[in-house]
Amino acid sequence: MNELAVLDLVLEQELDRNPDLVFLATSTPPSWRTRFGAERVRTCPISEPAMVGAALGAAMTGLRPVVDLNRASFAFLVMDQLVNHAARIHYLSDGSYRAPMVLTSATRGPQQLGPQNEQCPYGVFMQTPGVRVAVPGSATDACALLRTAVRDEQGPVLLFIAPGLADHCDLRAALAAEPQPFGVAHRVREGDAATVVAIGSAVHAATRAGDELAAEGVHVELLDPRTLVPLDLPALAASVLRTGRLVLVDDGPRSGAPAQILAALLDVPGVALALGGRIAHVSAPEVPVPSSPVLEAQYWATPERVTAAVRRLTAAA
Amino acid sequence: MALALPADPAVSPMDPPQDGGLDLVAAYKAMVLIRAYEERILQARTDREVIGPVHPYIGQEAVAVGVCAALQPRDHLVSHYRGHGHALARGVDLDALTAELFGRADGLCGGKAAALVSDPATHLLLSSGIVGAGIPVAAGAAMTSQVRRDGAVAVVFFGEGALGAGVVHETLTLAVAQRLPLILVCENNGYQGATRTEEVYPETSVARIAEGHRMPVHRVDGNDTLAVHAAAAASVAVARAGQGPAFIEASTYLTRFHLQFDRPSGERRPAEELDGWLARDPLDALRGHLLAAGTAPDLLDALHSEAERRVEAAVAFARTSPWPAPELALTNLWAGTP
Ligand SMILES: Cc1ncc(C[n+]2csc(CCOP(=O)(O)OP(=O)(O)O)c2C)c(N)n1
Repeated sequence: MNELAVLDLVLEQELDRNPDLVFLATSTPPSWRTRFGAERVRTCPISEPAMVGAALGAAMTGLRPVVDLNRASFAFLVMDQLVNHAARIHYLSDGSYRAPMVLTSATRGPQQLGPQNEQCPYGVFMQTPGVRVAVPGSATDACALLRTAVRDEQGPVLLFIAPGLADHCDLRAALAAEPQPFGVAHRVREGDAATVVAIGSAVHAATRAGDELAAEGVHVELLDPRTLVPLDLPALAASVLRTGRLVLVDDGPRSGAPAQILAALLDVPGVALALGGRIAHVSAPEVPVPSSPVLEAQYWATPERVTAAVRRLTAAA
Repeated sequence: MALALPADPAVSPMDPPQDGGLDLVAAYKAMVLIRAYEERILQARTDREVIGPVHPYIGQEAVAVGVCAALQPRDHLVSHYRGHGHALARGVDLDALTAELFGRADGLCGGKAAALVSDPATHLLLSSGIVGAGIPVAAGAAMTSQVRRDGAVAVVFFGEGALGAGVVHETLTLAVAQRLPLILVCENNGYQGATRTEEVYPETSVARIAEGHRMPVHRVDGNDTLAVHAAAAASVAVARAGQGPAFIEASTYLTRFHLQFDRPSGERRPAEELDGWLARDPLDALRGHLLAAGTAPDLLDALHSEAERRVEAAVAFARTSPWPAPELALTNLWAGTP
């Protein structure tokens, strides 16, 4: 039961395609239970740690579980099963056990759910080796990455979905999307004035900023990494080496994904020199997300903030 | 299968009041206020004045009021996302609560919390948006009372969905073993969001789950204010005396289903089930008691219009309260920060 309804359609197709696929959630579509049976479509008590632990055991013994965590904040409930166990089993067993499982959850939308339930915690999971982290910037990519996640064999995947992706969803394209390999960034627009790397819900805002700047003759290169782990570092580095300017755009805190992407980039020979300090961040402040929309306004990577950051960097040239 | 009514034959809704300590008119007044408030807040949500989700408490008023009437100011309270009823029964300032739900500067938490309020003035520690999460926190408040020997108790409200969470079972064990002055009030309305509890639990009576942890339990009709209050008063007395925790299972029902965002949410529960519970409305039941005891109907009607006036004044207060200054979003990350 995803915030992005088209993902449910994709998942239904995948359930149809693979009899080993099982779905666990606290609320499940009745039509799925009828169609695939209650053994494969499991309505669970509000027991996220047990659901994820069970998903691990099921994955290790041949099933392909998908757990819908509902909100990304609930990922914090399942840290032990996910991080200490699911993310470690392949390594711990020196490759003899696999844990192909998928956890889906919604990040932030302007839903005013408050400090507990509005957050973009994917940066945390970039620091827990063994989990792969997908944060699609469009509904189409969300569908494509979900298909990959449920089909591949490698290990646990966290798929973080911004509710706002539903606002710009091309249903036909989303449903038709083929599986998309992890670790391949999407070049949303080409340009050489600056490299803009935008994540998840921020991709749309960065796209609008790119359009606005293009109308003034400033052509930025906009890259959507699509997956943070693995990260398409070669594509990001190549772009930065060419443009010499970097703007990192995210609706989560700077200390999360942006800081980690930047650190990885600075390790690539030549990047630090090419950037020469021309780095800007458009991200959420390092405080929880408040409920009042007036307080929350500054937590969004708006097109205005992105254009301002690009202008600052291009003026500094 | 219709939702089970209270299973314990010892506590039937028709039993005479067991507790002389409950002021029935005051209880009715409090319940009427919650009812008027929740109806108005739902309307304000439809009008896009209230921010975030609204989880209405309509239909469960007897639980909050019956329990809170058994408490003293020194006691501590933990609530959750369906918390306006608990807050009002506890005496949280109506204007400040409303301004908070409107996201305004004069809100109880400055617009940061919306429905997930805390209020030190009434010892309302927390209204968690995470199912089950508040229960160990309440246990911690009970620890404080135990260490300080101050005679205070801690009360936590939760839906039966919380019994799915491991942390709740951990806390039940801990509370019994450590004899914490903790009263767990489970409002069993038969649903956990769109999921019927019987689909996901081995038992529909969660009291038996608590019993498995050797927790003393009370099963009550949660639509019967007197029965709820009697169970709460008995539990509080035991806890204050240092004899440990109690678990109250209050069987009840949501008159308005679960959750509203921009539009009133649709009803998805069986019509006969809903009708059965509507016929057992907690306000009607208490009104029946009051009229039978000779209270003038005019007096009760006046409480309704007074509640509506009070609620409208709170809405007016919230509307005129300014928006918070945006930079305040960055304040109070921890104590000592601006
Ligand atoms: C840990 C956790 N998982 C899932 C949710 C999403 N959720 C919000 S309310 C709810 C249903 C809770 O039902 P119950 O505890 O019976 O309380 P009620 O809403 O019926 O008052 C769920 C699953 C949540 N808030 N927290």
